[in-house]
Amino acid sequence: MMADRKRNETEPMRVTAAAAILFLFSGRRMPVHPKAEELQQLEEGTELITERIEKIRQNYVNAKPAISCERAKIWTESHKRTEGQHVAIRRAQAFYDTCNQLAVHIFEGELIVGAIGEFRKCGILTPEFSWLWVDREMDQFDKRPQDPYVMTEDQRRFMREKIFPYWKGKSLEEAFLARVPEETRKIAVDTGVVDNDSKWRQAVGEITPDYQDVLFVKGFGGIIRQAREKIAQLDETKPEDMEKIIFYRSVLLTSRGIIRYAQRYADEAERLAGEEQDEKRRCELMQIAANCRRVPEFPPQTFYEAMQFLWFTQIGGILSENPLSLNPGRFDQYMNPYYQKDKAAGRITEEQAQELIDALWLKYSEWVWTISANTADYFAGYNQFQNLTVGGRTREGLDAANDITYMALKATEEVKTHQPGLSVRVHADCPDEFLGAVTHLVSSGTGFPAIHNDSVGYQMLINAGYEPEDARDWNNCGCVVPHYRKTGEWTAAVNVNFGSALEYALNEGKSRMTGEQMGLPEKPCRDFTSYEEVKEAFYKQFKNLCRHSIIVTLEAQKLHQEMVPRPFLSSCIEQCMEDGKDLSMGGAKYNVGPVITGIGLAVVANSLAVIKKLVFEDHVTTMAELDAALAADWEGYDDLRSQAQAVPKYGNDDDYVDSIALEIANWYYREIHSYKDIFGSPFLTAFMGISNYIPMGRVLGATPCGRKNGEPSSEGVSPYVGSDTSTPLAAMRSAAKLNQEIHSGGTLLNLRLNHELVATKRGQANLGAMIQSFFSLGGFHVQFNTLSSKVLREAQAHPENYKDLLVRVAGYSTQFVNLSKSMQDAIIARTEHAEM
Amino acid sequence: MDAEQDFLLLDCGMEMNMNQEKERYASGGCIMQLQNYSVNDGDGIRTDIFLAGCPLRCRWCSNPEGQTLHNPMTRYMTVEEVVAAIRKQRIFYRYSGGGVTFSGGEATMQTGFLRTLTERLYDMGISLALETCGCFDFDEVKDILEKMNLIFCDIKLMSEEKHRQFTGVSNQVILQNIPRIASLDVPLVIRIPVIHGLNTDEENLKQTFCFIREHAPHARLELLPYHTFGEEKYRQLGLELPQASFGRPAEAELAAWEKTASEMGIKTISFR
Repeated sequence: MMADRKRNETEPMRVTAAAAILFLFSGRRMPVHPKAEELQQLEEGTELITERIEKIRQNYVNAKPAISCERAKIWTESHKRTEGQHVAIRRAQAFYDTCNQLAVHIFEGELIVGAIGEFRKCGILTPEFSWLWVDREMDQFDKRPQDPYVMTEDQRRFMREKIFPYWKGKSLEEAFLARVPEETRKIAVDTGVVDNDSKWRQAVGEITPDYQDVLFVKGFGGIIRQAREKIAQLDETKPEDMEKIIFYRSVLLTSRGIIRYAQRYADEAERLAGEEQDEKRRCELMQIAANCRRVPEFPPQTFYEAMQFLWFTQIGGILSENPLSLNPGRFDQYMNPYYQKDKAAGRITEEQAQELIDALWLKYSEWVWTISANTADYFAGYNQFQNLTVGGRTREGLDAANDITYMALKATEEVKTHQPGLSVRVHADCPDEFLGAVTHLVSSGTGFPAIHNDSVGYQMLINAGYEPEDARDWNNCGCVVPHYRKTGEWTAAVNVNFGSALEYALNEGKSRMTGEQMGLPEKPCRDFTSYEEVKEAFYKQFKNLCRHSIIVTLEAQKLHQEMVPRPFLSSCIEQCMEDGKDLSMGGAKYNVGPVITGIGLAVVANSLAVIKKLVFEDHVTTMAELDAALAADWEGYDDLRSQAQAVPKYGNDDDYVDSIALEIANWYYREIHSYKDIFGSPFLTAFMGISNYIPMGRVLGATPCGRKNGEPSSEGVSPYVGSDTSTPLAAMRSAAKLNQEIHSGGTLLNLRLNHELVATKRGQANLGAMIQSFFSLGGFHVQFNTLSSKVLREAQAHPENYKDLLVRVAGYSTQFVNLSKSMQDAIIARTEHAEM
Repeated sequence: MDAEQDFLLLDCGMEMNMNQEKERYASGGCIMQLQNYSVNDGDGIRTDIFLAGCPLRCRWCSNPEGQTLHNPMTRYMTVEEVVAAIRKQRIFYRYSGGGVTFSGGEATMQTGFLRTLTERLYDMGISLALETCGCFDFDEVKDILEKMNLIFCDIKLMSEEKHRQFTGVSNQVILQNIPRIASLDVPLVIRIPVIHGLNTDEENLKQTFCFIREHAPHARLELLPYHTFGEEKYRQLGLELPQASFGRPAEAELAAWEKTASEMGIKTISFR
């Protein structure tokens, strides 16, 4: 979600037994409630994760992801055979053909099987969405700084000769670029001002398959029966039934496809078992074969089968569209019954179940989302946002934590994979043990989990029109969007750069970096005579950017209906099957408006505060001088810049500037909410971060807040980096002022903490209290990066960006950046020790 | 001479009090820092209010800006300003069981300011703690102490001579005050800043533990290992670093001392 949080691929963090003991002695990796025997085991050197998992993990950490062309090849050849047929049928047939032909790979030591290509760490290509960017960028795939992939010369030649020519003129990308109005294109295609490229260079994804009411109940065999029954009730002579018949026929194909895929894995597992010398592995392979014979055709009967079912569903989603945010959803809720049943029957031990969960986490992480360099800037870290949510309340309103909840938290802590995106829902009366496990995971420094306020998530869905029971059953989509398994929603439709709106207001509608006319015409900045006039000019430009955000979304929504229906994923959604309507046609029970994400709230609020105070209240500068300083990227204006930096900044619980942020956020909600999408649903707002604040900062010239040309903007509702100079508590209070519950697309607050503050159980308990305090004020999400020694060194070198780092010693007051170098070194050394 | 100094100190304090008799309360005072998210000076998430001014001149002092009222690292704040800042933190106290800890410097030096703050925050229902060196006129501050939910009091050295040598004052007032603090209905934590080269010899520690056992039998003991985080402040204030070769005890040594104390029947505690 943040570049910081990305795994460092070259410096694996090892979780060997020796390291575990070190952690134990430094008081770090203690189980929440360590039992005497657990301590004993650790001291005797038992590994925290099994040898098998560690081996797979090492490969995951060290292997570079590679591109497989196989899916693109089969997909393309299939489309050549189906010219002229209905697009849904063509896509479903291509899916079936892929399931039927894709080479089968069971990798060493795997317990959960199913590969999307020949490589263990693998990405695929989906030329039907876009091949232009692949053609343009693939020569650089292994060289690009953000999220590189391995691709051979032979593969590139194959793609250029055999694949791309077929899709020329047929891809979603080309259609979008052909249709988008010129005025909009100028501001919304690869500009960093209004960005929705993931909605026309990629599939939508952003879906939570319904395991509870559809998949685990029916299996794809049941879905086939349902589709047949529905077709039997429909009449081909009725025009209104035609679309439905096409939908059900497409579902028949995809369902048969995923069953066929599983059967082929069963065959392969049996074949391997026949050759296997090791008796233990032979038994495992036979079990795998049995699992694949059963699921996903039939409902799972055991925990293990259910786990395999989950992965087959991901496989179906990936092969059908390579989606962003294909969320496993409330894993602990639908998996716990299987676990309890198996455990009671003596079919599974806690250790075995934990190993399967660890194995699934690695499977989630071995699939790599193949995206353009531009998209990778916005969604950095090979992050495909498979969001898995645990904790919270049940549909009935009871506490939902169970054994699987804790095992999921443990898996992320031990396997340290970047997937799934682990989210937790914390409610006011959640068990201490749960909050303890959450804060313990925070202390382990993975950046997980994303911590969400149960009741604000509920409120966000209520505001979007959900029934109370469904709203209570929410899970996360992508990073921080409250979502639900009966929902069709574009949860990350557009990113809009607030900073650009301010830039155009202050620079006659032009980009400061390029001089190009991008916004609406405006009078010269020096002619503004009041703060109100500046503000009005800002909102004028802002409104214009919002308008273009709507236009690109509506164009993309229409195109998705025409070009890329989604039979496989639609079959995982209850209402689509009930009504015979694809997700892209609005088939889900809830069609929630697309989410427009605002980037740079803090930068704009801080900048307006500077103008208000320095120009119009204190009269220490003029608009003309400020304009000159920005044009000069502050060069030669050091004093003015210092004055600008000293004006109150958002994130310090100072109403002077926080009230400006609030006003902007409220305005943004009203404006965006006034538009409706193609289903008539009002558009939604969000303040999320992924890594979008980096490219959106890159196109932005210097800003009045003191920020320089091209520096990152601010993310979500987080303060501008380094400008929250008080404590995380103040940042929380600022963020909580923003009426977060009206932004149903989610809000995001990233904070950083020194590891030392959360190293002890007491520190973690205080962190838990801090989270509950924030939530009681109305905050929705918070995520903590505990700082690595590397970051602390960075703070040593650039103290101006790290004024928020706290050092706490009894009876003593200071900040990290105020310590002498040798003292900082000592803290860094201790942090390093804890990282070992 | 040293005895005189002690006398002068108390005398001076009393004189101040006489001057302030009509005004036992002060509407503001000198603050080193209001430190939110403090987690080591009492339960939960706290705000440490560091009040400037201190009768001691400890050679190992980590907050040298607290030794005087006025210096570049202190500022005047009104009670209202402090209360407004505290009000913003209340939500965090509530969820964590935290509150406010008065520290310093020596918080009791600005008695009127401390009294006003204490009464205001007490009436707001905020849990209060005081961290003190124990060097004050007990009767003068008794009403303040009684409003605390927790008191931390240091015993730095048992030897009066050494105490004078390393802190500039005798320890007699401190050692007289401890039993009186212990007799109040307020939980007491005795803190020993354990510093190699100062007070970690067996004799001193043993004497200290015996003193606690005898005079503050219900107090808990917290050992605070020496640190040099304050060095940078000396530089910022243009002060010379105290010439002394102090050392930080190892974790194992701390554990051993805590064990000895426990064996003597003294309960230990750590706010780490």
